[in-house]
Amino acid sequence: MQKPHRFVIDRVAGYADEAAAYLRRRRLTRKPSARVYAPGCRGASYPAETEAGERLFQAAAKLIDAARRDSQ
Amino acid sequence: MFADVTANQRSAPEGAPPSAAARAALERFTGLSRDIRGGAVLASGRVLAATGDASAWEAAARELIAAADAAAGESAAEAHVATESGEAFMLRADGLEMVAVADRFTLASLVLADMRATLRELRAAPAVREAA
Repeated sequence: MQKPHRFVIDRVAGYADEAAAYLRRRRLTRKPSARVYAPGCRGASYPAETEAGERLFQAAAKLIDAARRDSQ
Repeated sequence: MFADVTANQRSAPEGAPPSAAARAALERFTGLSRDIRGGAVLASGRVLAATGDASAWEAAARELIAAADAAAGESAAEAHVATESGEAFMLRADGLEMVAVADRFTLASLVLADMRATLRELRAAPAVREAA
């Protein structure tokens, strides 16, 4: 039979793993991203460091700015 | 809140849905989710309806559409750009284009599905069928 303190340690380690995975996922989703789909569901990601990505992020910023002006 | 572009004949390409129908469709779309900050419906790059200043939305939308097309190397079907200050979407369907801005961490697939439904409804509107 498993010793009681080992059971507690396993449970705590399990929760810590879950919390770490949550933070990892959150960090990933917080990262800015640009994705474009061509007809036929062919999609590709464009990091901000690339020329296409930079152009997409600049255009998106202007669109977001237009929405911000709506609410003012 | 919604820009009236009915009087702007330059903004209505031939065969495009009437501005009033586009405005109603856009109003329905923005009412679907609290996460949506604004948007615009365009035909051939000309704004039919926008949630604010039509010319500002048209310029910004055209830029995003051009950037998406350049990235795809052809006419892009859709684009999603997530930034720290919000998320921008572009969808091209049924001969129309639509752009929208949503809060950060919005479910992109849901926003795009709503945009697709909006353009489909707009194309199926009786006034549009008569005009076609």
